[in-house]
Amino acid sequence: MLSVSQRLLESLKQHGADFFVTVPCKLSAELVRLISEDKEVIHVAPTREEEGVGICAGVYLSGKMPVMVIQNSGIGNSANALAALTQLYQLPLLLVCTHRGSPGERIGAQVPMGIAVKGILDALEIPHFSFNNHSQAEQVGGLVAYTQVAQRPVAALLGFDFWREGV
Amino acid sequence: MPVTRRFELLEKLVPLLQDELVVSNIGFPSQELYFLGDSKRHFYMLGSMGMASSIGLGMSLGTHRRVLVIDGDGSVLMNLGTLSTIANFGPANYILLIVDNGAYGSTGDQPTHTSGKTDLAAMARGAGVSSVIEAGLEDIASALEHARQNNGPHVIVIRVAPGSPALNPIPLSPVYIRDRFIRESKRL
Repeated sequence: MLSVSQRLLESLKQHGADFFVTVPCKLSAELVRLISEDKEVIHVAPTREEEGVGICAGVYLSGKMPVMVIQNSGIGNSANALAALTQLYQLPLLLVCTHRGSPGERIGAQVPMGIAVKGILDALEIPHFSFNNHSQAEQVGGLVAYTQVAQRPVAALLGFDFWREGV
Repeated sequence: MPVTRRFELLEKLVPLLQDELVVSNIGFPSQELYFLGDSKRHFYMLGSMGMASSIGLGMSLGTHRRVLVIDGDGSVLMNLGTLSTIANFGPANYILLIVDNGAYGSTGDQPTHTSGKTDLAAMARGAGVSSVIEAGLEDIASALEHARQNNGPHVIVIRVAPGSPALNPIPLSPVYIRDRFIRESKRL
């Protein structure tokens, strides 16, 4: 039986993702490890999500399909680049975000950004979709196709129950 | 202090360009490059200050073509983590040219920290970039040729004087720049 991280990575790749930029989160630790070990994809770990948005723009402009795996807090760190680069040039980019600060969170400090992230995405006119069950891994992968059709960034918010097997 | 500005440096650089894909920094640097010679190989970054070095890094990892980023001191200072990401993930075909005029040129030449105590070449070395080339304006041809002949990633730092000629904004739409560049980057 494949883990949710294995199924998610497989689905992202099947839909054409071949370049991954990751900033760590405890929830996505297995996914990031699988990406770093996968010889079929290119993996870069930047210091900050905004940098990752810049890298992903260059990746798409040179013919590859980027996915960023980040915490939702990274949307705040990269708001200007998402608006003035990704949206301005109408570049596809799938933002796979762990949704910290949502129900299931144990660290209170994560909650303010957990609440704010949807409003920030709305203000940036980035369509976003929430997933809270591991059975939805293949639907997240399908957003790789959607971001290319939409010609704009698209965000998936993956809650605690998404990462919990057998729920 | 150098007396020659970025514009005079770019005047020397543009005729030297071969098949490189070029990313140019927001504001005056892009306007000057466009004025000196537009090309389908140019990606003019119109917004997102700080991102030029990162955009070029992504390109250099996505294609085998050589990528040259024309960046500035203020922009690199705004995205300093880029130096360590370049050091750890930057490929052989990546060249970051930092035109260091010690000023935020597009907003009125307010001084940056490189006018004070900060040394970007030393910071690049500290970040782990093994090929850091400090050159004068007269050395641009030899610095570029060195970067072409040797495996990167390379960071070239050239000090120039602040100041810019008055030029018009680039009359190309972002989507036009995008489509033209993608067609070119996929050519080889």
